[in-house]
Amino acid sequence: MSEPFKIIICGEGGQGALSVAEILAFAAWLQGKHATATPHFSTEKRGGVSMAYVQISDEPIPFFKFDKADLWVVLSQRSIDRIFSYLQDGTKIIVNSFLVKDVSAIAKWQPHQIDATELAKVELKKPRTFNTIILGAMAALVPGLDRKVFSKALDKHFGTKYAKDAALKALNEKAFDLGYDLMK
Amino acid sequence: MYGYPITPSSEVMHFWAKEACSEQGKKDNLVFLQAEDEISAGFMLLGGILAGTRSFTATAGPGHVLMQDGFSMAEAMRLPIVGYIMMRGGPSTSTVIYSQSETNLTCFGGNGNGYRVVYSVATIQELYDYGIKVFNTAWRYRFPTFLLGDGYLGKTMGEVDIYSPEERGIKMVPTEAYLLEKIRTVPLSDVVPSPNLDSRVVDGVSYDCLRNCLNMEEEALAVNAETKEAWDLAAPNLVEHETAGDPKAPLLVVAHGSVAASAKAALEVLAGRKIKARLFRPITLRPFPEEALRQAAQGAERIFVVESAVNQLSRFVKESLYGRCSAPIVDHFRPSIGIVPNEIAGLVEKNAK
Amino acid sequence: MTLLPDNSKAKLAFPKCVRMESKPHLYCPGCGHPEVLKALGFAVDEMGIQQRVAFGIDIGCSLLAWDFFNLDTVETHHGRTIPTMVGFQRANPQSVAIAYVGDGGAYAIGVGGLINAAIRNDNILVIVVNNAVYAMTGGQEAPTTLPGTRVATAPCGADDHYMRAPEMIRNVNPTAFVARGITTIQVQLRKLLKDGLKHVMDNKGFAFIEVLSQCPLNWHTMEKPQETFDYLEKVLAKAYPVKTY
Repeated sequence: MSEPFKIIICGEGGQGALSVAEILAFAAWLQGKHATATPHFSTEKRGGVSMAYVQISDEPIPFFKFDKADLWVVLSQRSIDRIFSYLQDGTKIIVNSFLVKDVSAIAKWQPHQIDATELAKVELKKPRTFNTIILGAMAALVPGLDRKVFSKALDKHFGTKYAKDAALKALNEKAFDLGYDLMK
Repeated sequence: MYGYPITPSSEVMHFWAKEACSEQGKKDNLVFLQAEDEISAGFMLLGGILAGTRSFTATAGPGHVLMQDGFSMAEAMRLPIVGYIMMRGGPSTSTVIYSQSETNLTCFGGNGNGYRVVYSVATIQELYDYGIKVFNTAWRYRFPTFLLGDGYLGKTMGEVDIYSPEERGIKMVPTEAYLLEKIRTVPLSDVVPSPNLDSRVVDGVSYDCLRNCLNMEEEALAVNAETKEAWDLAAPNLVEHETAGDPKAPLLVVAHGSVAASAKAALEVLAGRKIKARLFRPITLRPFPEEALRQAAQGAERIFVVESAVNQLSRFVKESLYGRCSAPIVDHFRPSIGIVPNEIAGLVEKNAK
Repeated sequence: MTLLPDNSKAKLAFPKCVRMESKPHLYCPGCGHPEVLKALGFAVDEMGIQQRVAFGIDIGCSLLAWDFFNLDTVETHHGRTIPTMVGFQRANPQSVAIAYVGDGGAYAIGVGGLINAAIRNDNILVIVVNNAVYAMTGGQEAPTTLPGTRVATAPCGADDHYMRAPEMIRNVNPTAFVARGITTIQVQLRKLLKDGLKHVMDNKGFAFIEVLSQCPLNWHTMEKPQETFDYLEKVLAKAYPVKTY
């Protein structure tokens, strides 16, 4: 049985780590893969640590949690300590360098440092789309994922928001592409 | 459904609330109310059952503690409530994430020797499958029935086959009201323990008085004896378990719920390391599959009990195997924390001899 | 239980819906509950709803009414009768759901259920028999015990706080049927109960009737009926006005 591709993402409550995880899992499923996304958080909606486990595989996922990740993503400084133990040789890393300034602890993994918040502000005029940029970058690093399914996956997640603000859809997809293309 | 918000079970309530206030939901007479607290929710649930509807709730953690007030009344009066329990950290508020530490509470949370059916599910597909089954078990056998899950299961997004009972040939067991039932096919006296029921017929109409407060010790004994008799009849039909791995493997892992899913994956890891292990997974924790476990324990050189709790599953295991099995039991207790397949594989490997 | 001849109900002026097999009742001599129950029975008779009533009772002296009537009855846990009947009535909207409870169950342990049912305007009739004490369990202080009264858990005198419930219910629900009656005025009591029943039967929502009642046992006036009724009508009724709100 082949191992699933394992992704862990960690941020502060409210940063959208769980949304990113869900969209990623859903996109993989749209493509016909097996996927799970399992969140971990302290208090429900705001004010604590927020992280998620995502697994993507061509075979059914045996168990939601894992101990070592293939792709490791942090959105806030203290997330580094929080999920440090999930690193192994060869883990790929993405950090949102807007908040994560000190990467000395993870230097040997040569993290991709993306200032997603700054990019979102400057290129898209909407800082809130920073996590879609991160999502795009992550998607590029998951083997076997087709970028084309993400439009539909983003639609499912943000459908109600798009209905209120039509411009958001194009903006979001631009954010995704921005992140994705940074990795190529 | 009557419920109260508590992570990680609230989604069940959100979904039901949406269904109940939709066009179709109104046509289907779906009832929903968010109660002021879990105590009230538990008793509203009893009211729904007394009215003869398939009533259920979902809860976790401290809310689950509060629900025991209502659940224990259901035990005394044989009211077929259904509860979805999504275990989280404990004791007290702890985490909203996960544990298996409400096993005792789900199985034995009432005051005084009540009987309840408990199904411990291992996958999100089983949340669906047993989510249907619990209602049929409850109304057929008239015991409070629980679907025991955990925060991982409750919060995981993944693939589930959705189907209607008819598609799979599942016939839903019909319900009958305890109060104001017009057409009664199952006499209340067949269900409610006799000290708790006083029915009189006037002009062809039966008036049924139900209580749970008793006067004499003998009455309390009788309630337990009658309930036990019904339980002993039902249990063989209810008990469920699952095994995995080579039946001749000398190393036996016992786990329930999502830890069993992890253990199953661990068997693969161990096979890769040329270590022969197998799994016994109780599905019903009440009634506990004692006989099946005793069978499975035969030929085991070592038994590993793995749970995200302290001695809750293990106590059932030891109770079943007492005097029947000489294999040493290795407990692996990890209260309130997930157990990944590698951890279980490492445990077995380290203790293989 | 003593079996009485067929026309005994009429001879004894019992409501038709009482269960003779449970008579004589188990209440203390001089207790107010049988008077409230009698008024309720007549109200049920007159409205012809014997087969529609779901009668919920609490743990406390109300539990002695569990087989008082030929009405489908359920005894719940202490303080939980109101949410049980709320849950019942929402699942069976054609029923006439009654919660018959004491002041302890309704105003202390059960007050959360009471207030929220009132706020939601739930379609049930709540009857609270208020004797200003936890009677069945031996005379402990209740939220309605008047200041200075010596009771089992306030042997040096109850505190200055007490609860006027109908007034509070009226405050949180402007359209509920809200009234306070008293065991010593039977005709008015029966009318209040009928009005309360009609309110819920017409689907108008919450109906709340508190009935001031006597407890000679816990008031320590068993041998002194004059004192019992003086306390009820002159002291309690002064603190808790008998009126419709």
